[in-house]
Amino acid sequence: MRLLHADADRLTFHLSAAERALLLELVERYPSVPPAHLRQRAVAADDPEAAEVQRLLDEALAEQRASTRQQIRQLLLSNPNTFQRRSDGWALHLRPEEFETLLQVLNDVRIGSWIALGCPDPLPDRLPSDLERARHAATMEVAGWLEMSLLLEARRDAAS
Amino acid sequence: MTHAADTTAKPDLQPDVSDRPKSELDPGWLVVCWNDPVNYMDYVTHVFQVVFGWPRQKAEFHMLQVHRQGRSVLTRETLEKAEHYVHQLQRYNLHATLERAE
Repeated sequence: MRLLHADADRLTFHLSAAERALLLELVERYPSVPPAHLRQRAVAADDPEAAEVQRLLDEALAEQRASTRQQIRQLLLSNPNTFQRRSDGWALHLRPEEFETLLQVLNDVRIGSWIALGCPDPLPDRLPSDLERARHAATMEVAGWLEMSLLLEARRDAAS
Repeated sequence: MTHAADTTAKPDLQPDVSDRPKSELDPGWLVVCWNDPVNYMDYVTHVFQVVFGWPRQKAEFHMLQVHRQGRSVLTRETLEKAEHYVHQLQRYNLHATLERAE
């Protein structure tokens, strides 16, 4: 993956056919983080406003995830302008807010796999022998690689 | 019906704070980000830049504070704004909380 073009309105990345296939596979898995993991206590329980603040944040997050799921599927799976075939692979066109949504989605899939692995700390440095766990570890690795590739390519452009 | 002002009245010794900015009256709420073992450091820095509009250096400072000290107070705001920031950070799967400022 590499950045082909960036301006204030759009970023264009080059993806190989394999990278595109992996990206689409991962996007299908969003959301991966279980809702119970997301409902972290955001305010001290003894605060008089805790219940109301917590309810608002939980509702906002649930709504946002439903909306993000719809947006990312529309963007990557339905919108014919997002991917353009090139002789050497694919061009991925993203507006800045779509770039952020994609980062959130990839990170969610990565963290969802980490949770499925039992939240290991430190992170695993080799594939587990169990097939199901190996699948989660591989998903985590690939989602992380795509996430960081997007981020570093975009930053490289900003720095130049 | 209104009364004319009594110009002989003693001045009120209590400070008039009605027109002060709210931040002076209400200590506000702190937005705190907590360390976790899974999010990449570069990702956290990027999120701080996007959510708060910070330059990279400031975002990196707070990311390192989270990483080394376990948490970083990112900003002090009204409850409404602090909730907004916590929601934005949670969208990116960062562990963010609110605390009443002392």
